Amino acid sequence: MNTAAFDWIALAEYSAIGLLSGGLLALIALGFVLIYKGTGVINFAMGEFMMLGAYFFYTANVLWGLPMWLALALTLAAVAAVAALIERALLRPLSGQPVISVLMATIGLASALHGGVEALWSGRNYEMPTLLSRKPFTPGEILIPGQVVWSFVLAAVVIVAFTLYFRFSKTGIAMRAAASDPITAYVLGIDVRRTQALTWMFAGMVGAVAGIVVASMTSLSPALGGAALGVLAVIILGGLDSIAGAIVAGLVVGLVESLTAGYLGGKVRDIVPYAIVLVILLIRPYGLFGTRQIERL
Amino acid sequence: MRAQDDRSDLSRRSVLGAGLGAAAASALPLHAALAQTGELVVGAAPPITGVFAFAGVGLHQGLGDYCEWRNQAKGGVAGRKLRYIGEDSGYKMDQAMAVFKKIMGAHKPPVFYGDSTAWAKAAAKEVSQLGSTITCSPSFSSDLADPKNVPYYFMAGPTYTAMGEILLEYINRTSRGASKPAVAVVYSDTEFGRDPIPGIKAKAQALGIPIVQEIVTKPGAVDVSAEVSKLRRAKPDFVIFHGYVLAPIPEFIKQMREAGMTATPMGTIWSMDKTTVDAMGAAANGWMGVMPYRYSYDTKDAPTMQLIKDYAAKARPDMKYVPIFYTSGWLVGMIFSEIMERTLKAGKPLTGPNMKAALESINDWDTGGVTGLLASLKGHQIASGRIYAYNAETKLMEPASSWIKTA
Amino acid sequence: MRIGDFRASYQHDEALWPTRVQRTWLALLALALAAFPFGANGYLVGLACLVGIHCIAAAGLNIMTGYTGLISLGHAAFMGVGCYTAAWFAQRGWPFFLTLPLAGLMAAAIGLVVGLPSLRIKGLYLAVATLATQFLLVYVFREWDSVTGGVRGVNVPNASVLGFDLSNDHRMYYLIVPVAALMLVGARNLFRTRVGRAFIAIRDKDISAEVLGIDLLRYKLAAFALGSFYAGVAGALLGYFYRAMTPEYFTLQLSIFYLAAIIVGGLGSMLGTILGAIFMTLVPELLRGFVALIAEWAPGATEVLSPVQQVVFGLLIMGFLVFEPHGLLEIWRRVRRLFHLWPFRA
Repeated sequence: MNTAAFDWIALAEYSAIGLLSGGLLALIALGFVLIYKGTGVINFAMGEFMMLGAYFFYTANVLWGLPMWLALALTLAAVAAVAALIERALLRPLSGQPVISVLMATIGLASALHGGVEALWSGRNYEMPTLLSRKPFTPGEILIPGQVVWSFVLAAVVIVAFTLYFRFSKTGIAMRAAASDPITAYVLGIDVRRTQALTWMFAGMVGAVAGIVVASMTSLSPALGGAALGVLAVIILGGLDSIAGAIVAGLVVGLVESLTAGYLGGKVRDIVPYAIVLVILLIRPYGLFGTRQIERL
Repeated sequence: MRAQDDRSDLSRRSVLGAGLGAAAASALPLHAALAQTGELVVGAAPPITGVFAFAGVGLHQGLGDYCEWRNQAKGGVAGRKLRYIGEDSGYKMDQAMAVFKKIMGAHKPPVFYGDSTAWAKAAAKEVSQLGSTITCSPSFSSDLADPKNVPYYFMAGPTYTAMGEILLEYINRTSRGASKPAVAVVYSDTEFGRDPIPGIKAKAQALGIPIVQEIVTKPGAVDVSAEVSKLRRAKPDFVIFHGYVLAPIPEFIKQMREAGMTATPMGTIWSMDKTTVDAMGAAANGWMGVMPYRYSYDTKDAPTMQLIKDYAAKARPDMKYVPIFYTSGWLVGMIFSEIMERTLKAGKPLTGPNMKAALESINDWDTGGVTGLLASLKGHQIASGRIYAYNAETKLMEPASSWIKTA
Repeated sequence: MRIGDFRASYQHDEALWPTRVQRTWLALLALALAAFPFGANGYLVGLACLVGIHCIAAAGLNIMTGYTGLISLGHAAFMGVGCYTAAWFAQRGWPFFLTLPLAGLMAAAIGLVVGLPSLRIKGLYLAVATLATQFLLVYVFREWDSVTGGVRGVNVPNASVLGFDLSNDHRMYYLIVPVAALMLVGARNLFRTRVGRAFIAIRDKDISAEVLGIDLLRYKLAAFALGSFYAGVAGALLGYFYRAMTPEYFTLQLSIFYLAAIIVGGLGSMLGTILGAIFMTLVPELLRGFVALIAEWAPGATEVLSPVQQVVFGLLIMGFLVFEPHGLLEIWRRVRRLFHLWPFRA
């Protein structure tokens, strides 16, 4: 066995898989960043939004037998409605409260959603329909599962779509304005409360899409909810309020995770995101692209 | 002045008063001090929700249904009715311990069914100290099949290590040819998953079989593409999975097949249920494994399996297929009843040492086809099992070897 | 009704229980606590032991988060450190009155290390850092086989006093409750002193506190160390209580449980800690009892008990945060205020 050549191909394979898996991480991170940028909250319930999206889609598509496009549309609408409700009923009364209150509120939300899903659909694993083609890509000697490639493509499409929306559409610009300076936005006539609700709805929909993809790649179970905690590494690395940061950091974290899994084993892979978080927080707390927060008396 | 001071703290007084009252009320003896007459409580803390919910529900139903059936068909054990009290443990050790303490405190059951290896090991000391209860659980950990150090525990099957050894023996026997087949092991990072690995490695070494890759994952791992990639490079002929009930085995196997791997995947008891296999879809072809029981559809010359099938059809009409977890729960119920019956028939009270003696006296016991061979619980385990293979035509798991004795 | 309650000296004013009535009630409470195990069955005593342990851990978290404003999502991991430390020493024959403080000190040492970045990062970032620490420490628990027994866990020998084995819950009760009382009173006392006031100043506005001359790094580290000390002792007691421990116990869920306990109970108050710990321990029990009651009419209820518990947990946290941010403590105080002038004025 020619060890030198073998290593390169393995490296290439792990790297390719890692970078491509990072696309999905970036998508989930987008959800986090949207909410942080728009409302200043780290949403610990993002994983549960993913879970909700996946379960709603499963119900619509498999249990009710609706065609895929209709099921997707209904799912997005339902998750958006839930997100708007949460923003109105939970986040708005807590605006202005200390950080710990809002943090705990999202944690409580995550717990309630998690339990609710498990109560309604039971904790069993369900099989999601295969949404992305599974045929593997074999450029040269390396083999990349089809789903990894297509999930990357899908994530890229969604992220690009959102970025264009925020840049060029009226609502998008209004959202960005409200996020960067709410008071001036009010003065200019932008309905800040509405944009905040919209932010949550968009983040919910992004999470739902990510959840559906992840569930179809693996299986549908309440364990999906915990998947988003690892994405915290992505947003800390990229900067809590930077979409560009989320993208870059997503790819980086995906790469690092895959290389760790390949060379150090699956157990270490699980804590790699958290090790990254600690290192970043010690060296450069605001991440690669985050805006530095200046505290004034 | 003093008297009026008292009024200001009325709220505190009433709270304290209520507290004292509650303490006094709880002094009512709730323990079942009924030694020789009355119900026999079968306590349980199955993992009905949580990571192994899938298995826990079946175990819970199987054990509970057995108690019902026994009361109906045989009037209980030695004339005393069985009462099944099972509460969810969520596959969390502290919850399982809490349920255990609660049921022990309220009912002092002579038999108890726990939820996991972790619980069984943690509770072993307390159970020995109490000396009043025989315990069992879904755990087949080798450390627990130890009549000397863990006197009040038994398992309704062979140890995980023994299961791994059966698989390796089978691999050894069926591969003819000059070179030994390469084996990879994929297991979960839990007590359940890690338990048989040293034994498997030792046996492989003894047989001269190389273990080319060892992969550890979280029990409910979601993304396994990097692991499959690693597996692919190792080029194994057989892949042994252990420590999972369902996920991520189907995903692993699907990806393995898509990556062009022709390795034979094999599993141990808890991953051998038909539902796991169904989840694999087309990739199930070639799936094999070791299981100590018959499947519920294998009722030929197996009166108990037929009984289980009929009872489940009657009592749970929406259960189309009886999973192996149900069978296991039923068998545990049978063993519990056998222990209690032997003890009571010998005129002895239901204490730990007496029941242990009764347990160890179960030799060449006919389980009516559940375990294939006659069961012997002298070593606190039922040391036999059989290899099954998936048949793509019938879509069922079918026997691929005769019954093998392990110990 | 409160009459004739006047203070003639600063010392009297600062006393924890200034009036004679309060002290009498306290004595009665002590008697009731001492007598409790004689009347209650094993399960209730076990529950009381758990409440005691939760009180200690929650008190530690309250010191860190409630009084000093340092959010920690890794409290359970510190408990784990304490538990494994105690187990290690106990297995080598050290008596509990040595292993308990040692466990606390070990946890405090780790807390110091974790707290070091707290000068640079605050608020959400600190929370995320402690979250990462939680996962990393649990990883260490699972992998460091030689010390922690890895995934298998450890067995903790019985605590013993002069050869008298504390082998069951009734006896452990008499270890746990006095330790809990001691530590709670100690914490309450802390906030009468300079150190405690510095903590509160840091919570309110740390930049202003620094301007006033409070050394931020020193006091923040002290808060982390102290909070972790409490967690370590609680973890050690937990190990003695269960007599065995696995890493699966010290999860993020547990850290969140303690945060919920102090928020529901009341941040920045020891009475709030006690109320929160009792409440959060009792809620699952009440739910379970309720489900057992309705098992006749809704047989599938036991199977959804665990997720419903999670839903109730989440709803409680959200409900308290939105409707009663100061927690049960505020409700308690309102009830007491109602009775201040009763019956002359409701």
